[in-house]
Amino acid sequence: MATPSQTSTQANHELFRVRQILDQVESKPVSVITEEPASLNAHPSKGYYFWLMAPAIALLAFISLYPFFWMIYMSLHDVEITKTTWNNFANFKNLVTDGRYLNGWLLLFQYSVMCLFLQIAIGVFLAVAINGSRFEKVLVTTMLMPMMMAPIVAGLVWYFLYNGTFGWYHWLLQSVGILGPKSILASSSTAMLGIVIVDVWQWTPLITLITLAGLKRVPQDQLEANMVDGASPLRNFVSVTLPNLYPVLLIAIMLRFMDNFRFIDSALVLTGGGPGNSTKILPIYLFEVSFKFFKLGRGAAIALTLLVVTIILGMLLVKVFDRQQPKKG
Amino acid sequence: MFYVPKDAVYKRVSRRKFLELGGGAAAGLGVGGMTLGLGSTITRSRVQAASSDDAKWKQYAGSKLVFMSENTPPSFAIRDNIKAFTDLTGIEVTILTDDLPVVQQKVGIDLRGGTADYVLNYVQDKPIGSPFADFYADLTPMFGDDTLPQDPEGYGDDAWFTNFLSACGRFYEKGKIVALPYDAAIACTFYRQDLFEANSKDFEAEYGKRLEFNADSTWQDVINMAAFFKKAKEAGKDVPYGYAQHQGSFAWTTQLDIQRFLFANGRWTDWNIDDVYGSKEPGKTNWGDEQSILMMQKFKELGDVCHPDNLANGTLELNTVYQAGNIAMQTQYHEFAASVEDEKTSKAAGGKTAYAPCPKGDPSWIKNGGPAVNGTNCGIGGIGINNNASDDLKRAAYIFAIWSVSKDNQYNVLKGLGGTPTRKSVLELEDVKAAQQRPTTMPNALTFDPVYNYGIKDPHFVLGPKIPNANEYHSILAAEVQKCLSNEQSPEDTCASIQTQLDDLNGA
Repeated sequence: MATPSQTSTQANHELFRVRQILDQVESKPVSVITEEPASLNAHPSKGYYFWLMAPAIALLAFISLYPFFWMIYMSLHDVEITKTTWNNFANFKNLVTDGRYLNGWLLLFQYSVMCLFLQIAIGVFLAVAINGSRFEKVLVTTMLMPMMMAPIVAGLVWYFLYNGTFGWYHWLLQSVGILGPKSILASSSTAMLGIVIVDVWQWTPLITLITLAGLKRVPQDQLEANMVDGASPLRNFVSVTLPNLYPVLLIAIMLRFMDNFRFIDSALVLTGGGPGNSTKILPIYLFEVSFKFFKLGRGAAIALTLLVVTIILGMLLVKVFDRQQPKKG
Repeated sequence: MFYVPKDAVYKRVSRRKFLELGGGAAAGLGVGGMTLGLGSTITRSRVQAASSDDAKWKQYAGSKLVFMSENTPPSFAIRDNIKAFTDLTGIEVTILTDDLPVVQQKVGIDLRGGTADYVLNYVQDKPIGSPFADFYADLTPMFGDDTLPQDPEGYGDDAWFTNFLSACGRFYEKGKIVALPYDAAIACTFYRQDLFEANSKDFEAEYGKRLEFNADSTWQDVINMAAFFKKAKEAGKDVPYGYAQHQGSFAWTTQLDIQRFLFANGRWTDWNIDDVYGSKEPGKTNWGDEQSILMMQKFKELGDVCHPDNLANGTLELNTVYQAGNIAMQTQYHEFAASVEDEKTSKAAGGKTAYAPCPKGDPSWIKNGGPAVNGTNCGIGGIGINNNASDDLKRAAYIFAIWSVSKDNQYNVLKGLGGTPTRKSVLELEDVKAAQQRPTTMPNALTFDPVYNYGIKDPHFVLGPKIPNANEYHSILAAEVQKCLSNEQSPEDTCASIQTQLDDLNGA
């Protein structure tokens, strides 16, 4: 049996050894694993990953790529049920002289610009107004309601509200002297505005929602510093809040812009493109050509031009968006 | 709060099992829905010429058919009474109804896609029949097939009202019949007799004739009446506007609106083609000639004195304006009489409305040497069979088609929801004859005299134009006429623009 003095000497010795080891570890540089550790499983071949992805690729090709290439094929042919005939780019050549097609582009840009401008202005204003309010959650929930409505239903609701015989909004606008005897959809000078109002009503909440999310990320220290420097709330908004909102606003613009370019539902219900083609934006004309006139080749050519322009404008927006991002490094 | 047994079912089902069951059920429903949902199916028992009538009616018992139709009274009434057909034949028929533009798109995709999801179609003469006539089965071989049941009245032209069979059944050739007349919408004049009587003195003081409407009233009279009411209303008098056009968003009814105006004056038509059968190559249009320019000027003159919502009112909306008491007169399709006479929804009900033929042309407006007539146009809806279907499906569909246009059925629809008969024999029934006078239990019958005894007869009736590009033609015409009515372009420019676009459309 060991005496107490022997036990104490042994313990000190152990402690000394542990310290020695720790000193060695601390004094050595941290080792970095540079080689791939040996795997218990054999390294899968590239083909293995390909087959894993194959179902998804096949599905994607079926629902997206095949129709896309088929659309290109159709746009170059006269398409009939029994045969398709190569038409030497006639579908595209005819578009250049098609007044309804060119007018459709013009109206589409006009419509998109009006919608975007109003939605951004009103959306940002509403977001700033309700940000931090006691009723923020209730107000946001309430404002989101129009977005939950199917656009075709929104179109029908507004169609009845605008109606010159029994429409409540028609009566209201007429009573306060904004409208004359004609309803808003009955005149080629106001029908477009009627459609824009519906889009603004339905989609401004999305801008508000996105902006509200952006407002939460505005650095408080910058705002406070600016206020300490004596900036007014307006100045604070312009110099601090707005620059911080640019990225989210650009996302919002991009989303709405893409949506507007494929917009058709409520306009189709509200005016069908009239009166006198005054609201026949390109997607409505495309719909007519393809599914009323059943000129599928011509419709495909229109769709392709619409797609190409949308992609180009989308890329431009992304580029602008990239420029606004803080540079790394 | 509530007692839950220890072995409650939901406790015995794990979350994973629940998701598996849910996923399986959803997939099953989806696949089942796709395979069994709407597709027509066929079951057949062989019959011969000598078989009994009952056997012929029942030879496809157990089959299932899909009928795509417009949301008009006959389809609703037939759907309500479909049990009678199923009892007679053992065939189940699913009747789908929608607005005409939607029906047009759905059947168009089906027909041109080479499928037969809708084996039975509502073939509205110009918007569906003209572009898709080649995709429908020829019914004539089945008319003489003694292994099929047949209607005792037959299907010849004399079984139907004048030109009805040709309107919806014959396209581009005489021999082939692709649809049987199922319902009809014939234009006539609805006017507020009470308002006309009350304002007659004032009108007479201004225009030198009584404020009344009959078969001799001209389009110039309509302009005068509309101007009179508009002036009175704007002066604060308690009267409605006088007239309104069908210039809303549905291009076909917009085209019909100006067509009857043009036809009334010298029987002017868009192309020099056969009005009954139409043409696949109509050639150069008559738009841009002296007559059409004058007519456009007059149509604009009428538009200027109409109800202010003229450009927002399609056919349905226009009728609503009339029902609401906001106009004193409309040229409307006779099927709308039932809604106008409904006292629950119409201020024009209760004997206030009278019916007359469409307005007549004004001799002083005619430049082409033609006669002034009561230009009356129509939409004759037929029932046709998708040619992509199998022979047996076509035969089963034929059984439904002839049943749906039978005299008994048309009579029942007229009594029930207010149909518009296409068989002459329906009007020979005693209670239908009696219903043409007030008080009546069949309000549509009030229009039968101006429509069946006058409007659809020569020289007043205009059927066409039937051309393959009918829908694009309607669209071009509607847009240009609306531009003219909204002062965006002059009548001369409008006619020139229509001419250029239509000639371009038809490669003329």
